[in-house]
Amino acid sequence: MLVILGLFASGVVSAILESLGRYQDPALTFRYYSQLFSDREIRASLGFSLGVAAIATGLSAAFGLMLALRLRRAAHAWTGWNTLLQFPLAVPHLAMAFVVLQLISSSGLAARIAYHAGIISMPAEFPSLVNDRFGAGIVLVYVLKETPFVALMILAVLTRLGDSYELAARTLGASAWQCFRHVTLPLAAPPLVASCLFVFAYILSAFEVPFVLGRPYPAMWSVIAQRRYMEADLAARPGAIALAVAASSLTALLVWLYLRAARSWSGLDKPAIF
Amino acid sequence: MSMNTRSSRAHFRGLVLALIAVLPVLVLAAWSLSRGWLWPALLPRAWSLRAWRYAASPLSGVPQSLAVSIFIALIVAALAVLLAVPAARAIALHSFRGRQAVLFILLLPVLAPPVASAMGVHSLFIRLGLAETVFGVILVHLIPAVPYSTLMMVGAFSRFETDQEAVARTLGASTYHVWLRVTLPALAPGIAVSAVFAFLISWSQYLLTLLVGGGQVRTLPLSLIAFQTSGDDAVAAALALLYLAPAVFLFLAVSRFLRADA
Amino acid sequence: MPKTLPVSLLLLFLALPGCRRPAAPPPFHLDGLTWDDLRRMARGTPACLAMWGGDEERNRYFQQTVVPAMAAKHGISLRILPLSDTAEAVNKLLNEKRAGKTSGGSIDAVWINGENFRAAKQAHLLWGPFADFLPNIRFYDGQIRQRDFGTPIEGFEAPWKRAQFVFAFDSARFPTPPDTIDGLRQWIRAHPGRFTYVAPPDFTGSAFLRHILMHFGGAADEPRYLQAAAQSIAWLNDIKPYLWKRGETYPSSPRDLDRLFANSEIDFTMSYGPYFAAQRIRRGEFPPSTRTFVLRGGTIGNYSFLAIPFNAANVPAALVLINELMSFDRQLDMAKVLDDPFPQQLDRLTAEQRAAVEAIPRGPAALADAVLASHYLPEPDAVYLDRLEKEWMEKVLRQ
Repeated sequence: MLVILGLFASGVVSAILESLGRYQDPALTFRYYSQLFSDREIRASLGFSLGVAAIATGLSAAFGLMLALRLRRAAHAWTGWNTLLQFPLAVPHLAMAFVVLQLISSSGLAARIAYHAGIISMPAEFPSLVNDRFGAGIVLVYVLKETPFVALMILAVLTRLGDSYELAARTLGASAWQCFRHVTLPLAAPPLVASCLFVFAYILSAFEVPFVLGRPYPAMWSVIAQRRYMEADLAARPGAIALAVAASSLTALLVWLYLRAARSWSGLDKPAIF
Repeated sequence: MSMNTRSSRAHFRGLVLALIAVLPVLVLAAWSLSRGWLWPALLPRAWSLRAWRYAASPLSGVPQSLAVSIFIALIVAALAVLLAVPAARAIALHSFRGRQAVLFILLLPVLAPPVASAMGVHSLFIRLGLAETVFGVILVHLIPAVPYSTLMMVGAFSRFETDQEAVARTLGASTYHVWLRVTLPALAPGIAVSAVFAFLISWSQYLLTLLVGGGQVRTLPLSLIAFQTSGDDAVAAALALLYLAPAVFLFLAVSRFLRADA
Repeated sequence: MPKTLPVSLLLLFLALPGCRRPAAPPPFHLDGLTWDDLRRMARGTPACLAMWGGDEERNRYFQQTVVPAMAAKHGISLRILPLSDTAEAVNKLLNEKRAGKTSGGSIDAVWINGENFRAAKQAHLLWGPFADFLPNIRFYDGQIRQRDFGTPIEGFEAPWKRAQFVFAFDSARFPTPPDTIDGLRQWIRAHPGRFTYVAPPDFTGSAFLRHILMHFGGAADEPRYLQAAAQSIAWLNDIKPYLWKRGETYPSSPRDLDRLFANSEIDFTMSYGPYFAAQRIRRGEFPPSTRTFVLRGGTIGNYSFLAIPFNAANVPAALVLINELMSFDRQLDMAKVLDDPFPQQLDRLTAEQRAAVEAIPRGPAALADAVLASHYLPEPDAVYLDRLEKEWMEKVLRQ
């Protein structure tokens, strides 16, 4: 255990040292970090990465909440639903990205159906959903994969709490909306916030999905870091590592926030995504 | 509305959702069996086993990739559980100061992009002769897998009654027997789940394997990306199915232990 | 967790520079060795060839034909390491050089040229010189052994493949393609959404960029480059709104480009393999009416090479392997099976061999050898190539 954490720690330390120019520069320097800010590709990538992660998280949260509330009432079918909901969690991201590519690329199955339905006459008329400016394909994969995760996190808490609070509220004359707004939502909020932080942090550090479904520019930061790290020129490498370290620090902050959010309830041990 | 129609509606909806879950598999299967599937055909023009035959032959490197992926993931799963069980026990059963910090450290490699630490580990591994080796890849997969398994085992332990062990011990059972007869059966579902998830974490790694394995350790995802970019869609689809199947199978095998309300 | 501290510190120390492995065996020298000595040393040993793996047909050919041939003929067990970009191999060697791994490297030979060769040679990542030592070097023109994209070769790589850039179109969709750079521009503007190119730094995308650069005067020196690059960028930005997806994105691999062409999303595709269309037609991917063409002002061409890494574990096997890949029989077979251009000098072959080369079926999609030869333009210097790619990213892609 210690060896593994030590490995992780020494990896981090060695990465930080290299990003400070251990090999390239006579003395340690922060210039690779300051260069990140002046690099247009990185700035565009930051916006893109945050945007994709935020939209995917928002959609997953909304759908996840809806799904959880809906399923809570369908308690009699619970076990089957549970398995079904967990199913997307078992699908490797890369396989999912590949399927999505085949389905919604501009000459994919969806576009072909649109063609036969007479909606479009050539592939270019189909909206760009993969390798596109807004990362629609990337968002789709994560929404598919994380919505069930969010739903499961919320369900876990709501099921434990039971529905007595809502029953009491309704008995006291609250409307359905008031009951949702003032009782259900506050109950569901802690797992919702925690799972959002989790999902956001996770998508922010994703590589495989944007690698397959993204486009050259703007790209997610992880794709840029990998591209620069693997260049035939070591001069680009401290910058690549600096980018990875900076992004990891952001994730670390999110993890810390997640732990604070999750402290109030015990959903901590089920981060069932990977 | 009678109970009966409600439940049949629920079943219907379940069926639709199950179809949505199965649809990707059908699409992949169709691609893998297709021969020339150009725009705008809705179905392949002709069917062929070519992709599967090629994927099954050692020439394509796919059987080797499959073997190496399975090997690495099995070792990772075994090591992860071995390391996770004692660590999780300590975390779950003892309350101590800094517990939050420990959880933070555990959660970090799971969530934080292992890219940064993998880049750091990489030069260390070259120096130690671990880069481009299966062992090195296993080690780097353990970085996210062990903390992950530990977190899952913490959950299992928090539901575990240590009193039972104490009772067994008072009744004269040896440490080994206590472990075998009391602790293990109680924890078996948790262990199975965390082993499967460690397996799946290893199974789904692409970037870590590429960085540390240097392309020499070719796991299934590396082959998949290679076929996808070199344009053989039929073989890539066959590979995607091969990649998907064990993950889904393993998941289904332990899904009854996955209780969301636990 | 205080307990992790000692372990991390230990690992940290291991990570610090200065921790070198014990003395490596001395590097391999050719001094006093004959070709037969080398063949004997290579027999019964393994070798690893790192090569671009983006062409499935080529991968299969190497596995099915070259690997068994090396075993049968030379007793060498060849392993192919597929790369998605040759830069990966250079990167790996740079890593190993820095980590002090000066022997026992996992790559024995690498398919390389242009900017990757330049980077590798400058960083002393290659073993050599060796090219003149190979018996089969006699089939290749002395001129091409001098410089690779402007970088002096000095025997650090041996030529083995020729390539020339061609466009392809479907003659069933329209009879004649544009044949000048301005004609192409006008065609693109008149047919919005029907043209695109692969995003550099992909090999084919980068070649397209250089092709445009050469048409605007090339890069013989700095002022010429500056002028030609400015005009190229202007030309590319001029067509951008009329490209596939309005130039908001580009295909990321030649296979994607080919797929768009095959699916009739666009009307042109391009390749650095002058006979690629014949192969695609044969596989049923392109319509049989596909034809290749070049612009009147010429089309860039180059050679690619095989080199040996500085820390190759098995130099003798690498030399035997490279010599075998350069042989007449292998080249003829690759020309027939993979539609590769034939890279050797015809006047250095026997009459029988020449006849065999001339009898290679190229199909109706291909241009005659004479047409390709008369339109040959040399590649610009590798330094400019890098700069042009960066300029494209800044001034075209991100606008």
